[in-house]
Amino acid sequence: MVKLRARCILVGDAAVGKSSLSQMFRSDGTHFQKNYSMSAGVELSVKSVIIPETKDSVELYVLDCAGHETFVEACEKMWGQPSVVCLVFDITNEASFSGCSHWLERVRSHCHGLQIPGVLVGNKSDLSTRRKVEAAVAMEWAQSQGLEYHETSAKEMENCDAPFLSLAKAFHALYQDRLQIIQSLV
Amino acid sequence: MTHTALSSAQVVLASSGDENHPPENISDGNTETFWISTGMFPQEFIMRFPEEVTISALTMHSYNVKSCRIERSTSEEAEKFEAVEEKEFEHTDGHLQTNDISVPGISATHLRFVILSGYDHFVSIHKVSVQ
Repeated sequence: MVKLRARCILVGDAAVGKSSLSQMFRSDGTHFQKNYSMSAGVELSVKSVIIPETKDSVELYVLDCAGHETFVEACEKMWGQPSVVCLVFDITNEASFSGCSHWLERVRSHCHGLQIPGVLVGNKSDLSTRRKVEAAVAMEWAQSQGLEYHETSAKEMENCDAPFLSLAKAFHALYQDRLQIIQSLV
Repeated sequence: MTHTALSSAQVVLASSGDENHPPENISDGNTETFWISTGMFPQEFIMRFPEEVTISALTMHSYNVKSCRIERSTSEEAEKFEAVEEKEFEHTDGHLQTNDISVPGISATHLRFVILSGYDHFVSIHKVSVQ
């Protein structure tokens, strides 16, 4: 049995649904906040994810970071050394998608050249009639950046755990890989 | 102080765990067995000596450790630690890091090693010996 811990940086433009996603994940889909309240800082939530078909788990320390430009600099100070990144955009908002590369750059600048697993999340999939970003386009960009792509609807409780499970699995795989390298050295 | 006291240090606490690679592996004198951190920094482990000892040097065999602070305590319990030394280790590729750290004849009942950062997400400690 292995208990891993990962620092998960949750970023993306303001109002794309980062806090909703984080709350849905933390509360196992029981808590969706209907009124929008802009995050001004970083909110931490911790949840353990069990890796299927193993006895191992990854404790995710999700840092839900304010997306508004005004607060970004202050939030960045709390990122520390990220383990994984969850990048969120709103499928009905083109600008929030094009902002993703900038977010990714920001997070990577805190990683000291270390590769970190990441996911791209297209949120608000319930608003498909107002969709501005095609899934295929998002997926293509995600792949070019080495990210896994997921679409979620925090509002409809759809697929909200999937990005986090995928991050936990990727971090677990990274651990197995590093362990093997160390074992080959001794 | 006896030589036995120095060599029979036990690791009594470590901040993370893979049960296949327990912290006891740090003090078993063997570099083939190791303790591995399981994500995030800082990480720490505490070594306890059966009696108060005087330490002049340490040797640490590790992998991917970037910076490490060593603290000591002279209390009976693992408490009231004070910093002794902070070291930055060189990155090694394909072999373990071996670092000799000399300290100016300090007395201690416990040593705490705080790993502040690493060259990778995970670091391993293979052996710590105390002279």
